[in-house]
Amino acid sequence: MAQQASGGASSGGAPPGPQALDGLRIIDLSGGIAGPLGVLLLAEHGADVIKVEPPGGHPDRALPASRVYNRSRRSVTLDLTRPEGRDLLLELCATADVLVEASGRRAMAELGLGYDDLRDRFPRLVYCSIPAWPSGVRYEDRPGDEALVHARTGQQWENTSFRSGPVFLHSAVASYGAMFLVPIGIMSALHARERTGRGQHVEVSLLQGVLSLTTQIWNWTDKGQFLLQKSHPPGVHQATIYECADGEWIHASTQAGITPTRTEASILGIEDVPLAQLFQMSPEERAAYEETKRAAFKRRRRDELIEEYHAAGLGAEAIVAPHERFSHPQLVATGAVVQVDDPEVGMTTQYGVPMYLQGTPGAVRGPQPLPGAHTDEVLASLGRSAADIAALREQGVV
Amino acid sequence: MPGPLEGLRVIDFGQFLAGPFGPMLLADLGADVIKVEPTRGDGMRGNVVGSFMGCQRGKRDIAIDLKQPEGVEIALQLVATADMVHHNMTLGTADRLGVGYEHCRAVKPDILYCNNYMYGAEGPLAHMGGLDPLAQAACGIEWEQGPVAAGNPPLWYRYGHGDVAAAMPSALALLIALYHREHGGGGQSMWMSLLHGAMLYTADSWLGPDGTPTSRPSLDARQLGIGPLYRLYETADGWLQLAAHRPEHWEALCRAVRRPDLVDDDRFATVSARDEHGDELGKVLEEVFLGDLAVNWRRALDAAGVPSEVSVDTWDGETVLFDGDLVRLGLVTEYEHPLLGRVRQFGNLISFSDTPGRQERAAPMLGQHTREILAELGYDDTAAEDLRARGVVTWPDDTYAWPV
Repeated sequence: MAQQASGGASSGGAPPGPQALDGLRIIDLSGGIAGPLGVLLLAEHGADVIKVEPPGGHPDRALPASRVYNRSRRSVTLDLTRPEGRDLLLELCATADVLVEASGRRAMAELGLGYDDLRDRFPRLVYCSIPAWPSGVRYEDRPGDEALVHARTGQQWENTSFRSGPVFLHSAVASYGAMFLVPIGIMSALHARERTGRGQHVEVSLLQGVLSLTTQIWNWTDKGQFLLQKSHPPGVHQATIYECADGEWIHASTQAGITPTRTEASILGIEDVPLAQLFQMSPEERAAYEETKRAAFKRRRRDELIEEYHAAGLGAEAIVAPHERFSHPQLVATGAVVQVDDPEVGMTTQYGVPMYLQGTPGAVRGPQPLPGAHTDEVLASLGRSAADIAALREQGVV
Repeated sequence: MPGPLEGLRVIDFGQFLAGPFGPMLLADLGADVIKVEPTRGDGMRGNVVGSFMGCQRGKRDIAIDLKQPEGVEIALQLVATADMVHHNMTLGTADRLGVGYEHCRAVKPDILYCNNYMYGAEGPLAHMGGLDPLAQAACGIEWEQGPVAAGNPPLWYRYGHGDVAAAMPSALALLIALYHREHGGGGQSMWMSLLHGAMLYTADSWLGPDGTPTSRPSLDARQLGIGPLYRLYETADGWLQLAAHRPEHWEALCRAVRRPDLVDDDRFATVSARDEHGDELGKVLEEVFLGDLAVNWRRALDAAGVPSEVSVDTWDGETVLFDGDLVRLGLVTEYEHPLLGRVRQFGNLISFSDTPGRQERAAPMLGQHTREILAELGYDDTAAEDLRARGVVTWPDDTYAWPV
């Protein structure tokens, strides 16, 4: 069952029931991945997110990703480099619980919008920063972006490949780690505010995003270092990737937490060798068996195999390109594939809401708004008359 | 100042990585997390020592046999004192054991209850569990990292990317529900899955009205990067990550690599010309960068305002874990483990100005806090010994060895 989100209404299509974060207001000044996508996880559970962007729109709008990352929020255009624009943002801060920025400490301070500028004026505000490098580290002023963070933190050597040497990681692993940590940090600070009555500064650097992925690979002790196997090609799970007929690929990671009714070998039509016996084989015997197995996979259609694996209680998944995932039966069955009517490109198919709160279900609340689509309504809520707003528009402030 | 989640109690019935990692984040942030572990031990103990340490620190541990009615009774007594319950049992398992949402709600009406699955609580595959690679395969990152489109096999990411993608949002889901509860809502149950979490790694991909997918930057067959200006280059002594992808970097780059002639080369004169002749430009720069040491290139590029970093081999993370700045800032942590001595791991993943997180407790031994927790529930020593004698609970004795 696909959800539908239409862009017709001024604040997006409001979901029917109450949502968990109704009443929470977030001002999103950020760009990149971790800010907008992290905030999206809150917006689609009810937070009123106001994206504040420069007149004409945030430069990231040029990227296709923006239509997903900036869904379910309102857009106000403000020129923050002008005193009138800055003042309007401050008025907005007075109505908000959270501010999110990814411009860097220096840039925000230059605008007079750094944490130190806002702390005393808005003591309940949670101010969330997403720099590439953590504040206070000796290289904090170096240019920072996804791949530069990977390079400095060794990730290009940690994620081993078919060859030796560093590998460029296509997945924005640092930003994605940070994308989860940003809303966790915000919600934790809001919980603390219940007790302390105060907001605070929350910082999630992309470097911390990387660290969140080292749970399995970096555990150093006096007695030695405990690591996930490191090899070329990578160990453990790479070994269960097989090519099927027609050049399609399967990840035959069979453990599925239930008792299988058939063995993998019986599905593949090869000799059933118990695991214990497999481990006792000589390297040559083992390689020969593996060769037989690879050949068996190549004879079979991927989707047919997956059906048989699942019927037998064995895990397996098609290794697909991202756009093919929209037909995954589980995503379809759980309503995770959504139709979003984008004001610029029309009806799009997007990935929806990942977290399933049973009492207060999340929902896509609308497409990426056009730049400034909600400027008038938000400024009106701050008490600005139509004439005031027209004058601000005339001056290029909004 | 205590951590932001000080005062919250979480009961963690999870095992392996996708279950325990979320509660560990909550423990880092100050929550009192009690790991309820089967008396035979978490499936991750033993041969995957590092992974166990990496998702269990900060917790107290009570070892209970939930197959015995008295074990379930103790578990529910704990739930009655808690704010949150979290685990990654397969569909229906918690209900069968007697620690499902309805059981927990009966003893704690406003409990927040999160079950993490492979595929979710509904749908044709809901009954199946599964491991990290299934999520990595299904979301498209293995296909793109190969990259398969360039003729390579798919490549699995070694991070437990899928597990992490389930664990972090399930911690987030609990915090979102907590906000709701604090603002007049009640308790509720929720679910998360490896599949649904991993899809966020490719959330930027969408289909247009006619079903056409968005174009995405693709990796080259040698897995060096995305185009000649955002990729790895081998130097005379190591590798350099260049990030000169903005138009304003071009001229500065040419001068910094001592090739000012490239500025006037028609093949590379504009952004689109550089795209069109990307392979040629890559070859020119490959030759250039081999001509000097990585650190010299970084200096020259720094001086020219062109972003770059030396691609560091950290030797299993050692250079990061012993970086003085990261230790001082609390991004790397050190604490004592009773059997392993000093432990170094990542520290605070989120920095809070007023309520910083903490890591003080090592990953627990099996049942390390059984007696302490039973005492808090009102069981005296005799009762505890009796429960242990009957195999309902356990705790370590002097012969306990790592790994269990």
